[in-house]
Amino acid sequence: MTVIESMEAGVRTSPYVSTPARVLDVEKLTDLETLFVLEMGHGRALDHRPGQFVQAWMPGIGESPISICSSPTRGRAFELCVRRVGEVTSHFHRFRPGDELGVRGPYGNGFNMRSLEGHSVVVVAGGLGLAPARSVIQYIIDRRDHFDQFHVLYGTKTPADVLFRHDLSLWRHSALMNVMVTVDRPDEQWRGRSGVVTKLFADLPPLDPDRTSAVVIGPPVMFKFVVIELMARSLPADRIFCSLERRMKCGVGKCGHCQINSEYVCTDGPVFTYERMRSLPEAI
Amino acid sequence: MTGRILSHAELIELIDLLGASRRLIGPVRRGDHYFYEPVAGAARLALDAPQCVYSPKSFLFPPEETLLTFEKESGRFVAQPVLHDAPIALIAVRPCDIHGIRLLDHVFAAPPGDAHYEARRRQTFILGMDCAEPCRAEAFCADMSANTAHLGFDLMVARLAEKLEARATYAIEAGSETGENVLAEFGRGRAPGAVDEAARAERAARKRQAFPKRLRCDVDELPMALQRGFASKTWAQTAQRCYSCGSCNLVCPTCYCFNIRDDISLDGNCGSRVREWDGCQLRDFALVAGGHNFRSDPAQRLRHRVMRKGRWIQDRTGLPGCVGCGRCDGACTAKISIREMFNALAEEAGHDGD
Repeated sequence: MTVIESMEAGVRTSPYVSTPARVLDVEKLTDLETLFVLEMGHGRALDHRPGQFVQAWMPGIGESPISICSSPTRGRAFELCVRRVGEVTSHFHRFRPGDELGVRGPYGNGFNMRSLEGHSVVVVAGGLGLAPARSVIQYIIDRRDHFDQFHVLYGTKTPADVLFRHDLSLWRHSALMNVMVTVDRPDEQWRGRSGVVTKLFADLPPLDPDRTSAVVIGPPVMFKFVVIELMARSLPADRIFCSLERRMKCGVGKCGHCQINSEYVCTDGPVFTYERMRSLPEAI
Repeated sequence: MTGRILSHAELIELIDLLGASRRLIGPVRRGDHYFYEPVAGAARLALDAPQCVYSPKSFLFPPEETLLTFEKESGRFVAQPVLHDAPIALIAVRPCDIHGIRLLDHVFAAPPGDAHYEARRRQTFILGMDCAEPCRAEAFCADMSANTAHLGFDLMVARLAEKLEARATYAIEAGSETGENVLAEFGRGRAPGAVDEAARAERAARKRQAFPKRLRCDVDELPMALQRGFASKTWAQTAQRCYSCGSCNLVCPTCYCFNIRDDISLDGNCGSRVREWDGCQLRDFALVAGGHNFRSDPAQRLRHRVMRKGRWIQDRTGLPGCVGCGRCDGACTAKISIREMFNALAEEAGHDGD
């Protein structure tokens, strides 16, 4: 079949048209980040995988790729944690319950949660990386029997940057998981741990390298140091799953903005094994 | 031998027949240069134009196009996709540009198909014009196997007698059912005879001689050579001259990267989402929210473009990412040549292998 013929049989509707979504709830997390609880206007679930993202559109302002920070196991609503950094995300912060925006997606491969089943899971998140990581964390909590040990290591720059404090407090007091939080620069009130996230590895119990997977999401600088720690514990590179950030304009593998070497982060990623990332020199 | 033999007058008539139900777009002379432009009739076309400044890609993937419009209706925005499917005929498209369009077809048809491109493409008739000789010194289309096209057109014309245009004869062949139907409907010209056959064989022999090899490696070896040269000093050395102006992206028949922006009316009640060409050589192309730029250095951007054209597009699509048309070399204000970069990296890879 030639390309033209496959076009004849192909999709006729524009992949750039979004579907209305309604804001159900808004919760301020930090000075910069706000959590938005949304529901698709058609009333059905978004039907996403942990680690996928959506394109959120405000007519007249623009569109931004935003990770979904809730698990599909939590019902029809889904959540986006938005950091105010640009024009689109600033407008996002004006949303109140009942407001509408456009949503396209979910896009990207997301985490293959089935492939983690039976394993111990170590989630390492830095900064805003906790948002996509939270979709994985919630998923594992909701399917806890399917996983072995469950560790969450989270680091931010300062105490003021700590996201999802309410969740962290619940998680910390839960017997389901081991949660460790650290900040690079503590203030006087901070009673938790300080230093970069890799310092938390010292307190990680021994892991069976044949039955452990890691989920790593954070700023580019974080990956290589976290991977060193994981590999020092003999975790194979193909069991370390990293989620990468790029500014996708289309989300459907065409516009080129998210390209790393031969890969498109929007369709081939955003989740890549470290094994794959090693051969993508511009990944981080 | 299949196809028909047309006189120059008959070819003009055939093009006008195409123009009866389609907007005609073909090479038009502007000063010393040629551009693909809409024309009222075939007589206006410069059928023997060597190479147009831009490929005809812009008629399938315009530099700027509205993807959807939106309007406020009882407090809510309602969006409507905009699809253009007016029939067009691209006339005298050279083989390199046909290869370029084939790549765009592949990229935009990959699921989920880009309905905007597809709507235009479905209504596009392509009449190719085969090249007998290279059109410019920078071209290395023969090295990229792009100086001849076997598919991707509806009709392909090869000029046989290279004398006065008015007395020229053309061999014409169909490359699609639509093309066959047009030839049948036209009904003019004659079946090729022994003389035409000889003329065509002679032309093919001359063509084989006329295109010199300008790459110092085989095109099949290029992807590996580039991969081995990923850490080469050549990138930084060459990029010292790069202004990051994106002229290379602008003229490239296989560049398809784009940005999407919102335009809105002054009263805020209606607007559109507009797609515009973007270029990987521009400074902010790989910038993400929060200010991190994944290719902040011009050397990284140059490498991205050259690797993409010479390897990565092929890895993804199986089609060559560069057709060797030489436009980027000609357009570069700093005289950076993709062909010279390919050659330099192939040479380095050769030395590494020793």
